[in-house]
Amino acid sequence: MEHMIDLDEADDEANTIVASPQRTGFLPIVTNWFDRVFVGIYLFVALELFWMRFLEQSIPLSVCHVLAIVLGVLIVWRG
Amino acid sequence: MRSNRVGWLMLAPTIAILGIFGIVPFLYVLYVAFHQWNPFGANPYMIYNGADNFRRLVFDNEFLTSIAFTLKFAFFAVVSEVILGYLLAQLFMREFPGRGLFRTIHTLPLIVAPIVVGSVWRLMTTPSIGIIPYLLKSWFGYDLNIGRDATMAFALTVIMDIWHWTPLVTLTLLAALVSLPKEPFEQAQIDGANRWQIFWHVTLPMIRPAILATVFIRLMDALRTVDEVWMLTGGGPGAATRYLGLHIWKIVFPKTDYGYGSATSIIVLYLTLVMCWLLYVALVARRDQKRPS
Repeated sequence: MEHMIDLDEADDEANTIVASPQRTGFLPIVTNWFDRVFVGIYLFVALELFWMRFLEQSIPLSVCHVLAIVLGVLIVWRG
Repeated sequence: MRSNRVGWLMLAPTIAILGIFGIVPFLYVLYVAFHQWNPFGANPYMIYNGADNFRRLVFDNEFLTSIAFTLKFAFFAVVSEVILGYLLAQLFMREFPGRGLFRTIHTLPLIVAPIVVGSVWRLMTTPSIGIIPYLLKSWFGYDLNIGRDATMAFALTVIMDIWHWTPLVTLTLLAALVSLPKEPFEQAQIDGANRWQIFWHVTLPMIRPAILATVFIRLMDALRTVDEVWMLTGGGPGAATRYLGLHIWKIVFPKTDYGYGSATSIIVLYLTLVMCWLLYVALVARRDQKRPS
């Protein structure tokens, strides 16, 4: 009986190991780095397509590249 | 360290297959999407044209219309399949005479190839020889002609998809329902919960992962449906059933415009991923966050 495992302690330890890469930033969900890269790429593509359709006639696409990259970095860093 | 090596070794065949049949073709399609390439045209070589294919895409009204039609088709088909599949799964949970036979017959559409399903439905709906127009005419006086009536053509593509794929949903949800423990249901009954409350508060949360997996599979399938619809309506009348898969097929095969077809495929993949991810966030990620720890 001396060697009984404390299940609560084991659970806490498991939660610490699993949950450590996840965090909450300005995105409305808990994310890990892969989620944030994923969201960054989604928004990059969406922004590029939107720009080509509505804004490219007046503002060059290179501006969009810069904005999309900045947004992507912001999401990965702070999201 | 040794177990890691063994693990990687055991994963190697899967990774190799995934790489050869999944990642490499994807990267190739991505590469082609940035080129103008008509291998059967006057200039059969690939010419790099930057984002021109994507630029053309966002102004292509046929493509934008086909997105709307596809989303409508996927919504009606998947929602109907999940509801009908759940009801049938509940039916198969009960004992009744001929249950095994009915379950076997009900599963048969799954083993039929989509192109055959399309052909059979085409025969059944052809005005002069089909049984469906004949019965509709003789019972209700309704003249069914999917070559002329866009709404009916759309409805029939949805009904055909439901007929073909509801058994898959039924089987998945049946497996989920069979594996549920009895105790929560007995407890809910003791607490005086009615059937709706048991469904909403006990059954549905417990089979949520199975429902989600099924919805994802069916959604991805519905967004890239080609052969059934091609056989039944050929995308018509007009462009009423020209769904995304069919649209890409028409760009790549009859027009042999591989570059533009690849760009369209990439955007369809993008849309599918976005929709699945949003669905996942809405139904799983946000809900899991609200759960008290």
